[in-house]
Amino acid sequence: MATAETAPGSAPPSPAGHTLAPEGGEIAASGVGTQLSVRAFVTSKRAMTGTGIIVLLALFCFVGPLLYHSNQVTVNLGIENTPPGPGYPLGTDQYGIDVLGRLMAGGQSSLELGFAVGIVTTVIGLLYGAVSGMAGGIVDALMMRLVDTLLAVPTFILLIIVASMFSLTLPLITLILIALAWPYTARLIRGQVLALRPREFVQAARTMGATGRSILIRHMVPNTLGISVVTATFSIADSIYALSALSFLGIGPPPPFTDWGTMLTNGVDNLFNGYWWQVYPPLIVLVLVVVAFRQVGDALNDIVSGQRTAAVRRRRFRLLPLSAPRDG
Amino acid sequence: MTWYLIRRAGQSIAVIIGVMILTFILLHLEPGSAARSVLGLRATPARVAIFDSLYGLNKPLYQQFLIYVKQVFQGNLGISYQGLQPVSTLIAERLPRDAILLGMSTLLALLIGVPTGIYQALRHNRLADDVLAGTWFTLYSAPDFMEALLLIALVCVQLHLLPAAFPGGVASVAGLFADWPALVLPVVVLSINSVAGFSQYVRSTALQTLAEDYIRVARSKGMAERLVLTRHVLRNSLLPVITILGLALPDIVAGAVIAEAVFNFPGMGLLFWQSALAHDFPVMLGGTLIIGAATVLGNLAADVAYSVLDPRIRYGNR
Amino acid sequence: MRIRHSLATTVTALALATAVAACGGTTAKVGSGSAVKGTPERGGTVTVAEPSGASPDDIFPLPPSSNTNGYNENLTIGEWPYLVNIGVGGNSEVNQQESLYSSLTWSDNDSVITIVLKPWKWSDGTPITARDFTFVYNLLKANYNDWEAYDPGLFPTDVTKVTTPNLHTVVIDLNRSYNPSFYVDDVLTFVPLLPQHAWDKTSLTGTVGNYDETTAGARAVWNFLQKQGSNIGTFTTNPMWQVVDGPWTLSQFLNDGYYVWTPNKNYSGPAKPALSKVIFTPFTTDAAEMDTLRSGTSLTVGLLPLNDVGQIRALEHEGYSVAAVPTAGVAEIVPNLYNPVNGPLLRQLYIRQAMEYLINRKQILSDAFHGYGDPGNGPVPVNYGQQWDSPLEKAGGPYPYSPGKAEALLKAHGWTVTPNGTDTCQQPGTGASDCGAGVAAGQKLQFQLLYASGSAYFDQQNAAIQTSEALAGIHIVLKAEPFNTLVATTATCNAASHSGSVCNWQLQQFGYQPYEPDPNGSGIFNTDAVSNYGGYSSPEMDQLVNQTEYGSSASEFYAYEDYAAEQLPWLWLPDPSLPVVYKSNLAGVVPSSPFDFLLNPEAWYYVKPAA
Repeated sequence: MATAETAPGSAPPSPAGHTLAPEGGEIAASGVGTQLSVRAFVTSKRAMTGTGIIVLLALFCFVGPLLYHSNQVTVNLGIENTPPGPGYPLGTDQYGIDVLGRLMAGGQSSLELGFAVGIVTTVIGLLYGAVSGMAGGIVDALMMRLVDTLLAVPTFILLIIVASMFSLTLPLITLILIALAWPYTARLIRGQVLALRPREFVQAARTMGATGRSILIRHMVPNTLGISVVTATFSIADSIYALSALSFLGIGPPPPFTDWGTMLTNGVDNLFNGYWWQVYPPLIVLVLVVVAFRQVGDALNDIVSGQRTAAVRRRRFRLLPLSAPRDG
Repeated sequence: MTWYLIRRAGQSIAVIIGVMILTFILLHLEPGSAARSVLGLRATPARVAIFDSLYGLNKPLYQQFLIYVKQVFQGNLGISYQGLQPVSTLIAERLPRDAILLGMSTLLALLIGVPTGIYQALRHNRLADDVLAGTWFTLYSAPDFMEALLLIALVCVQLHLLPAAFPGGVASVAGLFADWPALVLPVVVLSINSVAGFSQYVRSTALQTLAEDYIRVARSKGMAERLVLTRHVLRNSLLPVITILGLALPDIVAGAVIAEAVFNFPGMGLLFWQSALAHDFPVMLGGTLIIGAATVLGNLAADVAYSVLDPRIRYGNR
Repeated sequence: MRIRHSLATTVTALALATAVAACGGTTAKVGSGSAVKGTPERGGTVTVAEPSGASPDDIFPLPPSSNTNGYNENLTIGEWPYLVNIGVGGNSEVNQQESLYSSLTWSDNDSVITIVLKPWKWSDGTPITARDFTFVYNLLKANYNDWEAYDPGLFPTDVTKVTTPNLHTVVIDLNRSYNPSFYVDDVLTFVPLLPQHAWDKTSLTGTVGNYDETTAGARAVWNFLQKQGSNIGTFTTNPMWQVVDGPWTLSQFLNDGYYVWTPNKNYSGPAKPALSKVIFTPFTTDAAEMDTLRSGTSLTVGLLPLNDVGQIRALEHEGYSVAAVPTAGVAEIVPNLYNPVNGPLLRQLYIRQAMEYLINRKQILSDAFHGYGDPGNGPVPVNYGQQWDSPLEKAGGPYPYSPGKAEALLKAHGWTVTPNGTDTCQQPGTGASDCGAGVAAGQKLQFQLLYASGSAYFDQQNAAIQTSEALAGIHIVLKAEPFNTLVATTATCNAASHSGSVCNWQLQQFGYQPYEPDPNGSGIFNTDAVSNYGGYSSPEMDQLVNQTEYGSSASEFYAYEDYAAEQLPWLWLPDPSLPVVYKSNLAGVVPSSPFDFLLNPEAWYYVKPAA
């Protein structure tokens, strides 16, 4: 199952009826499970593929313009919508601006946005949701009601207000998207935490005197890492896409700002006109980046849950040497 | 549990009021005046003043809010500034349409997403898993309207199989079903996003569950694989699904602006969007009220469902 | 579609611009349409695409001043036509067949009009008489300040007396002599006839009386009719709205803008509709409309978004024809001459001239609008009509694209010109070679252009303007917002009133200014006119506009036209016009004048194509 190390000589399936061993058994094992060893990450093929793609795309977007110069500011309607050819490897868009250069410039915005929103949303949502779920009682109720309130406020008003009061800049958009996204994550994490709370390993930890906070950090967070990672990858995709929705609705930032999502929106207008070079390049890089993040997230998920599983098996093996009947 | 429900009901009302207050404030923060937006470019200060006093917009905010709350308790959601239609009529017309559209697409997404997620977990890291995950993610990461337009280009324009947009004149829910071919594409497009979500979350939880010892115990006890999957894996994997469903309820009520715009579907999303632009406060407030109610209801339902699915989850006590 | 003074409805956030195509000159890719050949058929249903978000919401034909929704006219013109109907074939002339009068004569030095009404009947059988005219006149006399189409100084306040010598004759005494074609074309085209015998009451259950004959009564009737007229839910159920004198009645109306016309079986006019049903259906986006057109099924008539002109061939394969239709208006950037920061700059004619020299209108027309539109040489569209196009306009207007001239102008007035930077004023002062009154030393030549988002070709246009203005160092900052937001946050700013955040805008671009058949700028460029959003004021302009209202010579008109073209109360822009797409077997849609474009389905009919 896990690509991470499986302990040599892993335990055979425990014989029926032996429930003496704590199911998770990991009062100590959780310590092992939380360590994402760099080695694990580096040897995971999917993690490396994903990271590799992300790094390549980042290089393309941030280093590319230093090597490939194009004018991203001057509008020249005379050469609008030209197909790929000499001077314009990916053709031009409806403003007469070189698409390849625009792809790089847009990528900077999209990657920055995606990263920032994805990570910050997950961190905030994770902490908030975990704390809420662990705390229970009134604190949980209050925290979740706050989340409910935020979820219920129509996003449109907020978007319109901000768009008309301020000129939309990337930092502002990032902030808004984070503010709109973290309640979802919080709610998901809290649900997961609620499911974990009654589990035996938590009871066991409590019996051993662990404080709420240490349970939170050593048990809850790692156990919700799976969901968190999935959420993070979705957040990245969502935020990049949210920007394109903004421009579709007419409240996006005006030129010369650009990002992959907006390029896609503008290109899609020209779908029927056959300007494929305005549609497929941003679409491909968009999908690539999202899939790459997913690979990384998936690998992380595997590593964490795989390690824990392996540790569990190792522990059990060591805990049961005398009391376990022979197999068979 | 009953005690818990009663307490939640009380909290829900508090949340709804909180939402209303927040929305009220946000609405009045919108730049420009409702009067100018409705009266148009040639609004003179005199006419703006008449409009403001007619709709009580020149009173202090808290007073306006209290008047509104009183109205709502009397069952009156106000009259739209444009077209002078009762807000309740507008909502009553559009809400069922969105409920059907989004209800159907969520159902479709569930039917595809949950089994796929579990299947992916079982075939973890093998080709099937990668292919499926790749497909869902690709579909998810391409924007809604892009997928919609591509589908329309293929199915409606090239193949002439289905209508490209809703014919106008949908007067009732029955009318919606009478034109059911026009529903197919919007439902499919809307479900695409949800499928990715459902399947990935289910897969992740299923993976974790499959790693648990009690699964091994069950299998070694000789339990049929099918039972293992349904009784244990499925149940646990449904937890995030329920959260998502609970979170999705307000969406059903709020409509899907992009899909409605592309398919010309006169639903709540467009109503909301156009009212937001036009500073049509009564419609915005009425809609927010409904969405607020749907949100708290959705979350409450999700919480209740948690404890049903996993009896170890208890509320109130530690 | 003919839209009145209300710009509010020309551009909406998610929908098409409602501008109408320029007359097919050499720049248009399609012609202006020739008659469809074949055997005419009776019956059939036509579905017309409307832009949404600006759907009709008032059925009373005299909308109140608080309702600037230009689409209401689309809803009411088929049931209650105006006294004067414009549009015959493709020509913008009076349509005698559909107008409500059989003769209209001027006397007493063009200050008295004698109108003989046609002996037509209302749909309930009651004859149309002069009483119906006086009903309208009385209502307007008591409520003109609340009438959306009221032009200060004109009807009904310029009327001294109305008499009705017999059942069908109306004699109107005006307070001075007027240019007859101006008055007929621009004023009487807003006056419908209303059924006094059915509408002269003050409550739903009340009886009909002569309430309109007193001022108080006229006010009461007006208020009652306005209230009923804005109640969408009863448009099709209120029996009052079933009493019509036009070719159509409203048979269905939904509040998202979808409505249906069916022929008025008792229409007295000769132009009885051949079609059995006309459906107007709203579309929320260009994309949705294009998709429906391309699937070739449910839409009969629609407008082609300019970005999709490449699909004309594909549409023709689906059985459609495409044609260009003339525009009736001018597109502009409105400068706010009283903006607290930049007002003094914009008040300088030489700065406006420099800005106009830097707008490459030809390129915008050919590359952003793909050739569909008017070049924007001045206040009157070129090819509007022989009598309206001055030689100066026809020759390209006073400000053809010339960055060199712009730079020279700025330098001559004491500016340091930094191409692709921002110019600064080096010589403040009021002398001939100084920056001008109110301009500080070092002040930057920088403006924010606020425009309505939602149209890709406007995005292109404004991005191109930003780049070309930068050639002489004029720094334009773009800000796009949905049209409603734009309307809600800006107001008319002039010398008398320019305070508050609503006058913080500097340059606005939101669509086009529609004209009447006589495009004399009245109500637009004269001081304090209702559509004079930027506060332009000049005694000479006022005098020239008045002359065109009172006198009828071409030279008087050209004098106004050339003066406006040169004075740049607004910066002229090319005016895009959307070609019309219609099923090839539907005749009568084209050729069309801009004043009855898509408003006269009574002239449409299906044909069986000639074999």
